[in-house]
Amino acid sequence: MTGATEAIRAEKLVKAFGSITALAGVSLEVAWGETLGILGDNGAGKSTLIKILTGYHQPDSGQVFVEGRPVQLASVDEARALGIECVYQDLALVNGLSIYHNMFLNRELLRRGPLRLLDHREMRRRAAEALDEIGVDVPSVELAVGALSGGQRQAIAVARAVYSKARILLLDEPLAAMGAREARLIIGLIERLRARGDIAIVMIAHNYAQTLEICDRVILMQHGEVTFESQAAATSAEELLEIVRREYRAVRAG
Amino acid sequence: MPAAVPRDADRSGGATDAGGRRGLVRRAYGFLLRPEASVIVVTVALVVYFEIANQNFLTNANVQTVSQFVAAPVIIACGEIMLLICREIDLSVGQVFALAPFLMQNVHDFGVPVPLAILAALAACALIGLIIGLITIGLSVPSFITTLGMLFLITGLTLTISRGYPANTAGGPLLTGIMGVWAYSEIVWALVIVAIMHVVLRHTRWGLHTTAIGGNIIAAAEAGIAINRIKIGNFVLTSTLGGLTGLLEAFRVGSIDPLAGGSNIMFLAVASGVIGGTAIAGGAGTIIGGLIGGIMLGVLQDGFTLQGINAFTFDIVIGAAILVAMIANIHLARLRGGGPA
Repeated sequence: MTGATEAIRAEKLVKAFGSITALAGVSLEVAWGETLGILGDNGAGKSTLIKILTGYHQPDSGQVFVEGRPVQLASVDEARALGIECVYQDLALVNGLSIYHNMFLNRELLRRGPLRLLDHREMRRRAAEALDEIGVDVPSVELAVGALSGGQRQAIAVARAVYSKARILLLDEPLAAMGAREARLIIGLIERLRARGDIAIVMIAHNYAQTLEICDRVILMQHGEVTFESQAAATSAEELLEIVRREYRAVRAG
Repeated sequence: MPAAVPRDADRSGGATDAGGRRGLVRRAYGFLLRPEASVIVVTVALVVYFEIANQNFLTNANVQTVSQFVAAPVIIACGEIMLLICREIDLSVGQVFALAPFLMQNVHDFGVPVPLAILAALAACALIGLIIGLITIGLSVPSFITTLGMLFLITGLTLTISRGYPANTAGGPLLTGIMGVWAYSEIVWALVIVAIMHVVLRHTRWGLHTTAIGGNIIAAAEAGIAINRIKIGNFVLTSTLGGLTGLLEAFRVGSIDPLAGGSNIMFLAVASGVIGGTAIAGGAGTIIGGLIGGIMLGVLQDGFTLQGINAFTFDIVIGAAILVAMIANIHLARLRGGGPA
């Protein structure tokens, strides 16, 4: 996991909120074309980690590297400029607007001329093209996002991030509250994006079996630390559960 | 909500197979599903009814009367619709309506030519909108409260400036003609403003961002949309349109009344927008719908007057009609499930 293939790397990230230590020295790295799953209970520090990687929080100490270069992620915009983008299922889209308007929100294409009118036709065409390219199937890009299922909405949000040149995708619970068919849609999308080889994906998840199926590698976080790391193929949901159970027993005994 | 999917798929299918009879039929079908379609149907039915019940409805003189009644609320509705879409409202626009002609008159009394005095009055109205916007956004006061306060403040201002007395408008025949004296000049103003605002809402980033802010303010902020600038801009727009309408009405009538406009015209404007399908909860609305809603209210008002219905009864009927339209607005929006904007 070194050299040319490294997309993003974090070293010994520490973050405390008052007396609560959310991250106690977390390190991770993800390569281009790799999908990393971050597992862990509520309060394990997953969200804090994601918020540091997207520039929303700044770490107390530690360093983030993008393609080997140390970077300061002082704001969401700076992280975005480096191609790092977090996709939230329900926060990202405007339900009343069409798919193509959402895809181009605040990056609208304009017709030539002094009136600066929206180029609906070109936006429709390019949105359809972009969705087609990554295999997201919708009846029409003119559909309001509110008429789509949760899985489709998630797919649109991911497609928008990719279209706007995001290369390091952070997915926060991409399969939460989804039925099997819906989840299949997102899993297929993640697999196609991985196959491109120029995108790195970090996803937070709760479901161990599902995460092992989708990801190349998983890490387990507990109390702000990475307590276990493995290639997905080399571990199992049972093994991960056993580690967590051991912790519960220790807590109860202590 | 699942029922909405095939329907919308149908509609867009029609839009993509460019032209052709099939496309035309689908377009017509799509049109009937639009929020303002039901209002058009009701309005046409009302016109037919009033024409049958009273032969004088579709005469030139009466159409002119209706157009004059319709114009003022429709122009103001163009601003209120933009505000409602981005989840704000301006309750004080009717008071700006009354203030603007006095501002013009006062500036004119200093020897400034009428056209410049008109521009000065409009600039002052824009400034009032800016103040409303800055208070609402900068101090996080709900616009309902900000503009409620402004409503009383501006009323007091108008009464102070006018000393409570009406005045006559100045200006030559050409200027006063354009500004409202010619039979159809006010409705022409209204239609031009409707056309411009329709393009602004549907075909510019400003309109799209206004819709996005009302639909999901978090998503709009995430996308980097300048939320404050757009909201404040829409307050400025509404106050300016309110002032312009007040000037037009003053020129048409030939006198300036400190008690003109008021909350009545503001409510008519908001009702026009809402009857025309603008969502009270924001995120959706159309300018054309506001025009149609305004026409419907004008037709109702005029039709009842021709039939000699008591003014008190009329208020009951129109109040009920607005209530029904608002209730339908809320429930249809739910049925559409955040449908096409």
